[in-house]
Amino acid sequence: MKRSYRGVLLLCLVLFLNLLFTQYTVNLFFAQRYELTIVLAAANLLTFPLAWFIYRKEKRAGQ
Amino acid sequence: MEEKQTKISARDDNYTHNIHKSNERSLDRRGFMKTMVGAAGLFAVSTLPWGAVAAKKLITGENDAFPTKKIAAVSALKPGDAMEFAYPSEHEGALLVCVKEGEYKAYQNACTHLKCPVYWSKEDSELLCPCHHGKFDVMTGNPLAGPPRRALPEIELKVENDAIYAIGVKPYEA
Repeated sequence: MKRSYRGVLLLCLVLFLNLLFTQYTVNLFFAQRYELTIVLAAANLLTFPLAWFIYRKEKRAGQ
Repeated sequence: MEEKQTKISARDDNYTHNIHKSNERSLDRRGFMKTMVGAAGLFAVSTLPWGAVAAKKLITGENDAFPTKKIAAVSALKPGDAMEFAYPSEHEGALLVCVKEGEYKAYQNACTHLKCPVYWSKEDSELLCPCHHGKFDVMTGNPLAGPPRRALPEIELKVENDAIYAIGVKPYEA
């Protein structure tokens, strides 16, 4: 079995995106730019299925 | 715990047969990835209320209407004078400065560093935070010196019938 850290790195990237989206959601909410707030909150929601997908893919690849 | 394995061919040796403690591999790569997926879910859920409140504000068209509040009579302030008031709520301190005859500036006076009350230094014509010597420009509210990095929130004013009124707070710019 060969080690692959691709999944770990991709998930780190997803978590980084999460951080960015969360930060900007809160900032833009206080700047009263509500449309962008909603877009970023939705983007943050979509990262969860993405992370799940990456995890599933890597799990299968490891078997 | 499983018995120690023997006879592992070099090709299959993934160095797991030397694990003796029961939880030694509890945070392996897969466990770490699971944690990351869980964290992604947590982040996703945490922004939901912000999105929901933003959507509510968009739908109801409620745009943080500020009350109009009389601060002082024009005659009460000479150029260079300042006075404290509270706006928009009772618990949010603010500072009105008469920059020159007929020109007024007002800011919420909680320092953007650690919320100490900023006061008006008449001698230096600066807004000064005594806690860590933060200074703000009276014309723009921008930080000039010290730890603060963000501008003071400016209060919109109008002068009517020889009195100064606060009519709103300018939105924080991101």
